Amino acid sequence: MRDVAIIGAGMIPFGRRDEDSLMDMLAYASLKALDDAGLGDKSVDAVYVANMGAGILQHQTSIASSLVDRLSLLPAAADVVENGPASGGSAVKNGLLAVASGYYDLVLVVGGEKMREVTGWRATDFVATMTHPQAEYPYGITLPGMGGMFTRLYMEKYGVTREHLLAVSLKNQEMGALNPYAHVEMTLDREGIFDSPHAVVNNPLAADPLHLYDLCPVSDGAAALVLCPLELAKKMAKVPVLIAGFGQATDTHTLQEREDPTDLKAVTLAARQAFEMARLKPGDIDVAELHDAFTILEIAESEHVGFFKKGEGGKAAAAGKTRFGGQIPINVSGGLKARGHPVGATGVAQIVDIVFQLRHELPGNRQVKNARYGLTVNFGGFGNNVTAFVLKRVEP
Amino acid sequence: MKKEIAITAYKCKQCGRIHYPFHDRCLDCKGRLFEPIKPQGNARLLAYTAIYNLPWGFDQRFLILGVAEFENKVKAMGQIKADSIDSLKTGMVLRPSWEPVRVQAGEDVYGLKFEPIP
Ligand SMILES: [Zn+2]
Repeated sequence: MRDVAIIGAGMIPFGRRDEDSLMDMLAYASLKALDDAGLGDKSVDAVYVANMGAGILQHQTSIASSLVDRLSLLPAAADVVENGPASGGSAVKNGLLAVASGYYDLVLVVGGEKMREVTGWRATDFVATMTHPQAEYPYGITLPGMGGMFTRLYMEKYGVTREHLLAVSLKNQEMGALNPYAHVEMTLDREGIFDSPHAVVNNPLAADPLHLYDLCPVSDGAAALVLCPLELAKKMAKVPVLIAGFGQATDTHTLQEREDPTDLKAVTLAARQAFEMARLKPGDIDVAELHDAFTILEIAESEHVGFFKKGEGGKAAAAGKTRFGGQIPINVSGGLKARGHPVGATGVAQIVDIVFQLRHELPGNRQVKNARYGLTVNFGGFGNNVTAFVLKRVEP
Repeated sequence: MKKEIAITAYKCKQCGRIHYPFHDRCLDCKGRLFEPIKPQGNARLLAYTAIYNLPWGFDQRFLILGVAEFENKVKAMGQIKADSIDSLKTGMVLRPSWEPVRVQAGEDVYGLKFEPIP
């Protein structure tokens, strides 16, 4: 197996992008990554497109074939990778394996989703199609609803409080406001969404006990990476970022069939595999992007990957340990909560953000000093399919 | 024909684990032979939420949903009949019923509902 590095990274601002089609967004992000890699008019061997919903939302299929045509990357191999909200992580895995095996040298991975094309209740229904078609979906359950049930169980078992959730929300929104690619560009004030009498209006219940500002927004967006063997990467202009570790694991489709529904086994296993492959420990990580589709998930994942003991993640967030400048900065990009969550794009965007961190390219108010190692967790379904990556800066 | 959500659970003939929904192989022992069983008796509430942003197809302000465990250990999701989520508590006993849970293509779809026993 060859070592695989990232030599190009790019994304477009997430948000509501009425003027762009899904294909426009995928093309723009791809060109940014190709340019970042300094590939100019060169082609690539293969393209992996992460997307969950073009067939449902845009009534369009085979979008990878369409994208290579638009980008004039013919005759590159091209595939769509669909793994729900973990499609991005899965597409990067496909790129990693293809280059590591020696089959391809230059691979483009791009993830994108256009969710604001449909009404909110259609988008909610689209995301809910990943729940069990018999045992869950017909009852009207949504992903925030799964998050609400999980949150109450976590609160009952570990004593997580609304204050803990609020700390994640405020932190990520504050960091997102500094990120030009983020969907949500305003900071939140604690008074308006928690303390004041108006908080019930500004921040109503969304999926009890989760409130509106515990949830990520519904976004359009795309992000892309270029992968190649490490040896080739060392000859390129940018500082290479090594994909030092990867892991992926699955769990039961329904929460009710898990022995302990607060135990996100797939997160633990995916992270453990990634750390073992990288020969690193959670304590070695300088910066992490976790899948905070709901604030509770950032807290639960921070425990399951090993940053904190079970039951300590909420307190750690409230104590500022996961802030920029803290013990382990989590979601310095703003996370899904503020960067946004165009489902197919997210897993790729998390890695793009870590690449920017490890190349030391960000402005001082977001750059983690001397960052060498990063972690990403991309969470599919309700934890039934999870990918994790450990990334490493390769010193020039 | 009445549209119904399949609510048969499956008990592994080899190790006894109860599955709902259906699996082709037992989650514990990989056995492939199951005895179909129906949920029986009342149910204990394991997890619940009220959702306010409903998916397409639901015309109401909010919906209370939960997962409950029947007396014969079958666990299943259902809608909860309660005016407010504040009247619910994890571990409380609920009475199940079989009622329309949504409308699809103009027809009622029958499924599980749970109601707190006063
Ligand atoms: Zn068995």
